[in-house]
Amino acid sequence: MAAATLALIVLVLLPLAFLVAGSVTADEGLTLTHFRDALSSRLYVQALRNSLILGAATAVLSVAVGLPLAWAVSRTNVPAKRFIHLTAIVSYLTPPFLTAIAFVNLFSPRAGLVNGFVRDVLGMPALTFDVFSMAGLILVTVPHTFPFVYLLAASALESVDASMEESAQILGAGRWRTALAVTGPLVAPAVLSGALVAFVNAIALFGSQAIVGLPGRVFTLPTRIYALFDYPPQYGLASALSLIFVALTVAALYLQRRYLARRSYVTLGGKGSRPQLVDLGRARWGILAFCMAVFLVAVAAPYLTLLAVSVSRSWGLHFWENLTLQHYRFVLLEYDVTRRAIVNSLILASATATLAVLIGSFVGWLDLRTALRGRKLLDYASLVPLGLPGIVVAVALIQFWLRVPLPIYGTLLIILLAYTGRFIPLGVRSANAAFRQIDPTLEETARVTGAGWLRTFRSVTLPLARPGLFAGWLLVFVPALQELSASVLLFSSGSITLAVAVYNLYETGALGPVAALAIVTMLIITAAIALATRLGRGAAAARAERAGVAQ
Amino acid sequence: MARRPRAPSGPESLSEDREAVSGRLMASIGIERVTKRFGGVTAVRDLSLEIADREFVTLLGPSGCGKTTLLRLIAGFMAPDEGVIRVGSAALSTPTGIVPPERRGMGMVFQNYAVWPHKTVYQNVAFGLEVRKVGRAETHARVGRVLELVNLAGLERRYPSQLSGGQQQRVALARSLVVEPGILLLDEPLSNLDAKLRERMRWELKELQRRTGITFVYVTHDQSEAMALSDRIAVMHAGEIMQVGAPRAVYARPVNKVVADFMGLVNLISARVVRTGDEDGLVAIGGEHRVSAAVPPGAVAGEMVQLAIRPENLRLVPTASGDGSGSVPGEVAEVTFLGNLVDCHVTLGDGTRVRVQLDPGQTPEVGQRVAIRFDGRQSSVFS
Repeated sequence: MAAATLALIVLVLLPLAFLVAGSVTADEGLTLTHFRDALSSRLYVQALRNSLILGAATAVLSVAVGLPLAWAVSRTNVPAKRFIHLTAIVSYLTPPFLTAIAFVNLFSPRAGLVNGFVRDVLGMPALTFDVFSMAGLILVTVPHTFPFVYLLAASALESVDASMEESAQILGAGRWRTALAVTGPLVAPAVLSGALVAFVNAIALFGSQAIVGLPGRVFTLPTRIYALFDYPPQYGLASALSLIFVALTVAALYLQRRYLARRSYVTLGGKGSRPQLVDLGRARWGILAFCMAVFLVAVAAPYLTLLAVSVSRSWGLHFWENLTLQHYRFVLLEYDVTRRAIVNSLILASATATLAVLIGSFVGWLDLRTALRGRKLLDYASLVPLGLPGIVVAVALIQFWLRVPLPIYGTLLIILLAYTGRFIPLGVRSANAAFRQIDPTLEETARVTGAGWLRTFRSVTLPLARPGLFAGWLLVFVPALQELSASVLLFSSGSITLAVAVYNLYETGALGPVAALAIVTMLIITAAIALATRLGRGAAAARAERAGVAQ
Repeated sequence: MARRPRAPSGPESLSEDREAVSGRLMASIGIERVTKRFGGVTAVRDLSLEIADREFVTLLGPSGCGKTTLLRLIAGFMAPDEGVIRVGSAALSTPTGIVPPERRGMGMVFQNYAVWPHKTVYQNVAFGLEVRKVGRAETHARVGRVLELVNLAGLERRYPSQLSGGQQQRVALARSLVVEPGILLLDEPLSNLDAKLRERMRWELKELQRRTGITFVYVTHDQSEAMALSDRIAVMHAGEIMQVGAPRAVYARPVNKVVADFMGLVNLISARVVRTGDEDGLVAIGGEHRVSAAVPPGAVAGEMVQLAIRPENLRLVPTASGDGSGSVPGEVAEVTFLGNLVDCHVTLGDGTRVRVQLDPGQTPEVGQRVAIRFDGRQSSVFS
């Protein structure tokens, strides 16, 4: 209890307190000037407005893309369901800044491949698309956010008991009427909830907003906060802006929780039966075409582009005439910054995932299995980082550790603290879910048979929770490996991370190495998922074997 | 979107289905040689059943016997692979096309009630009238009346989450009744209620059916529920109907072991045929003790059969009074007092255990020598 509490205080609560303090203090003492500046300067009001536009448009488009896919997969006989599902998963796993970089390669006003083709080969300059715009920013953000709507809506659609709809049907309602009067209202909370999560995630993505927004002078809150750390850094104003950003995020999450709570009625039915699948007839090919289009934009275009750029000497319409592996040699062997970044990120992501799951296990176990006072508070406190965008975590940590006489600023340690703080909610939730599935009587049986607390935890609780904990580890590892928003403010040359290295290389215009490094990043993520899945399954298999032997 | 099902071809076309929806006279159901398969499993096999207008028929059987599938076939949620389902004279379901559920004008109550959680009680009940474009004033009046009927008046503005299970069940019932269907399909509507409430709802359902004259098709696995409610019971097993008849007849004269076993407690005792005959048949049990039984003419003397007799149709008499008289000697092995009766296990000479139910006044003791009197008119013989 004490350890978990201490971890949360150091990782989350103290930095947050210093952030608040920093936002209302200046050299002359307590002040509200920072907030006044943040809310009156055209610069920041415009950034706020852009963030809102980006978030709202992304949320709406995420529904427009995610809901049809969810419906098609869970309720129709559309072909290639697995493919559609994988499209959403891969889109979700792809680092957002990689999508942004890929689309810059395709749609930058001058050098973009598609734009070049349209302008020079087709001779239709009016049809070119400038990715450095709000529209471009939305385009590169939606592939990362629609999976939230897709996943939530699909699970809601699947859990609506068939009899809910059949009751409407037998009362004379046709398919459309049933969808409008029954299915729609029942899944609406999940869809809205997905849209709000999409909103929160969209506005927090520093990478795409810097890569696509800055050249087009589309400033947003994260990029403005980032700019405030240019010399001379304006910590107070950055803190105030961060808090406004947090308010926005928290408001959206609050709404989301309320809607999510109402989702409970989807599962109200008793013994459930699955709805019959809608026979789409010929329309299934239309739906499949839509899914293919999503796949093309969200997965195929980014990956193929990055792959092509990474193996070509110069980017353009004839890139395949000069294939090369020099970019890979450069980022993996020659350039020590990228080599260091790869090692750093692997260390950071593994350590973060382990710490987050460990702390999560403590918090989850305390919450579910003890009656200690304050355990609920602990649980809530561990969810606080959900409301903190990555860049805000970085600002808060800087505020805190610059004032504490411990020299960790500029080290891997501060980045580890930032990551762990950010991803604790994922660890807590996974652990909570893993422990919740274990019937307490299994543990009580062990206790009654004479096993002590530790023995019980080690030989009953932990083995049973292992698959869930492994999943949680992976859930933290993957985003930690590609973390940019917080790292970009906290890194030093010694503690550079993968995503920062990609971003810095991109800034210098070295597109080939950027693409190569991007592909390497994705390979690491894929390998990690494969490994963790195998380990998780291995554990399960070993357990099954033991059970077999026992019998 | 979903394709409209094609109308089945044939002399009786679907043009008549409008009548089926509105006609009070049309509420008889004809199921003719219907088969339904799911993959390799045949859920309903070449099944025929006629249900008369205003009749209360129960499909009774263990889970997996095909009773719910049959109900869903009647509702039109699926098409039969073979056979025809008619309502009145209109063929609503054929292998080539079905009238969709929304155009059948039936009502259906589901096991989990399926009361819409996002609508109030009033909105739930009024939905069917809205779909039928009934005016506001009339809707209001009809919803009020039907809520009165199911004892829910005053709860119009509640949401389902604020109701008990029994109340939700009655909302589901009211929702189906308000549109005045000719046919009401009920899929184990009482199985999620506690025992006391179940018994009361049983009464209410029976009363309701009498008052409204709606044809009820009721699915359950609870034989006492089926007996309490139905005009006729159709006992189903493995996709087929084993026996159809009035509750009393099915209970007293089961046609086979499956039905006997499913309709309440039954002793199945190995017996040897001594003489065939409906009136003067004889079998030997518990060694060489002869008791009278209706032995079907197909059996031959010496053949081993099973004698089925319910525990409450057996009586204990002090001692055996000779072969052929219908008494068989044995020893009391176990006595359980159950309040309204005494449950007693008797071991016969050859080790066969027989269960006997007695008045609570009788209290045999374990180890006591007794004799069981078999009444040939109340037993059945199965091969």
